Amino acid sequence: MDAGILLQILFWGIYAGCIYILLATGLNLIFGVMKIVNFAHGEFLMLGAYITATLFLFSGINPYVIILFSMLALIGIGAVVERLCFRPILGTGKLNEIFLSIGLIYVIQNAAAMIWGDEWQSVKSPYAGITVPVGTLTVPLDYVIIMVVTAAILCGLYLFLNRTRTGREMRAASQNRKGAMLVGVNVERMDILSFGIGCALAAAAGTLWVVSGQVFNPYMGSIPAVKAFAIIILGGLGSIPGAIVGGLLYGVAENGAAYFLGGVWKDAISFVILIVVLVIRPTGLFGERGE
Amino acid sequence: MDREQLSRYGTIAVIVAAAIAPIVISNLFLINLVTLMLIFVIFASAWNLLAYSGQGSLGHAAFFGIGAYASALIAGWLGLVPILAIFLGSGVAAIIGVLIGLTCVRLREWFLAMVTFGFAIIVQTITVSILAPVTGGWDGIAAPRLLSPSIPYYQLIEYYLILALTIGTIVLIWYIMKSKIGLAFSAIRENELEARASGIDPVRYRLLAFGMSAYLAGMAGALQIHHIGYITPEIFGTDLSFWPVTYVIFGGLGTLAGPVVGTVVLTIVWEGLKMAGFTFSRYVIVGIILILVIIFLPTGLVGLPKRLQDWREKRSEKQVPGKGALEE
Repeated sequence: MDAGILLQILFWGIYAGCIYILLATGLNLIFGVMKIVNFAHGEFLMLGAYITATLFLFSGINPYVIILFSMLALIGIGAVVERLCFRPILGTGKLNEIFLSIGLIYVIQNAAAMIWGDEWQSVKSPYAGITVPVGTLTVPLDYVIIMVVTAAILCGLYLFLNRTRTGREMRAASQNRKGAMLVGVNVERMDILSFGIGCALAAAAGTLWVVSGQVFNPYMGSIPAVKAFAIIILGGLGSIPGAIVGGLLYGVAENGAAYFLGGVWKDAISFVILIVVLVIRPTGLFGERGE
Repeated sequence: MDREQLSRYGTIAVIVAAAIAPIVISNLFLINLVTLMLIFVIFASAWNLLAYSGQGSLGHAAFFGIGAYASALIAGWLGLVPILAIFLGSGVAAIIGVLIGLTCVRLREWFLAMVTFGFAIIVQTITVSILAPVTGGWDGIAAPRLLSPSIPYYQLIEYYLILALTIGTIVLIWYIMKSKIGLAFSAIRENELEARASGIDPVRYRLLAFGMSAYLAGMAGALQIHHIGYITPEIFGTDLSFWPVTYVIFGGLGTLAGPVVGTVVLTIVWEGLKMAGFTFSRYVIVGIILILVIIFLPTGLVGLPKRLQDWREKRSEKQVPGKGALEE
């Protein structure tokens, strides 16, 4: 086993992890405030991917700029979905939320298929083909940009949650919903906002998926979403640092598994990890809450 | 007509309709459609039984597919007639169901949904990788037909055979729901702590639910592939995992009639939309129906008569002012 290959697996793992981190962080943000797990989260990644690809093909603007439009669009879509679908059933049982997500998956996937067709597509990033040396490796420039963009988005999220009044209100609502209500936080507004931001993070993940040259179709969202669930279970439900560490570990594990066991195991390995972790610790690796 | 009568006459009407259906329609395409619908009634009922114990699985296609593959392979290896192989194949599904149940019984709703969902993908991966020499990989394998096409009227006989199994399944589930086991299931679903306090072992009963549900789902899968004649790993896809959920919620979660009503009505809607030329949009329509039912009609279609009755009573109370107040 030569060290170059290990480094390569590590680098590709971190790159794959970036997309999963954004997705898992969004899920965790929504879970923290609303205490729901949105199984349709991958569909927002898919929408983000398509919105970016469409805008890019029409306007030719750099896709790393379009990421902002895509995120804004998904904040809007997320807010509408929260208001129309999740708000009415909040508190009526967790099974209902899961079933409602299935309805959303049907609607969003096939609405997208009606708009964009159901073939696999891909988009060529303006930097495709350019490689840069990182240490002993030669890697595509896009992958480096993706890591930087992910880090920037996470820093932005950190600043928002810690330095702004709305962000602090959101954290209050996630720590103690009733207590936050008592001190005058509009928790329903926080619900909409956290759902919107969660969807925007998924849109960012979708955009990065597209610019890295990976293929996408309307049904692409389910697998990354379930991987994001595996990550938030590894990192603990509701814990954003947990999602980041979990996402990186997960990306590396996945690429390692694909290399050592063969490509077909790339998707299944996440569930093997998930099931093993849950058998050992039913609340997740770092999960404090009994949820 | 009160609701008890309604359900009694409804049951009789459904059975009579099912019994004379192939004679009336006498169209082979439609008979085939109704046969597949019956198989899905079994599948949805199996999923519903698990949900009755408070466990919502998103990966029931795994058991459907395992039952199917196991039955096809057993029939091939042992030279067994498919009608017997079905019961052995579902036994394999049940054993695996209990094994996966062992990981799931201590999990909360979300985790359970994720694990079952992932389990279906793992099974698919194993089928096309390690087990490919046996299962034929992505190409799948041929399965012996339930009845040889050389038998005259074999489609009709097959229909009645599957109808009998469907009715048998529903009667069995009715018996389970009514028995002490069913009581334990609903006690665990409503409040696990209280169930435990009254001497119910939740782990044991949840495993039991997993085993029984996997057995019936496996039987449905085996019936389907022996009916169609071949099997591919597509059987483990999310589509097949989500259909029973959709059918049951539409019909009425946790009720005996729910899966039947949901499957029949949604299949008619589905095929109707197909004939009307909808493709992707019929999924959108079904998704919207599902969301609306969850929000506005949590008891499903079978809860509709009661809803209407309540609504009518409320309205008649309004028309006689002060009546409610006097009674109180």
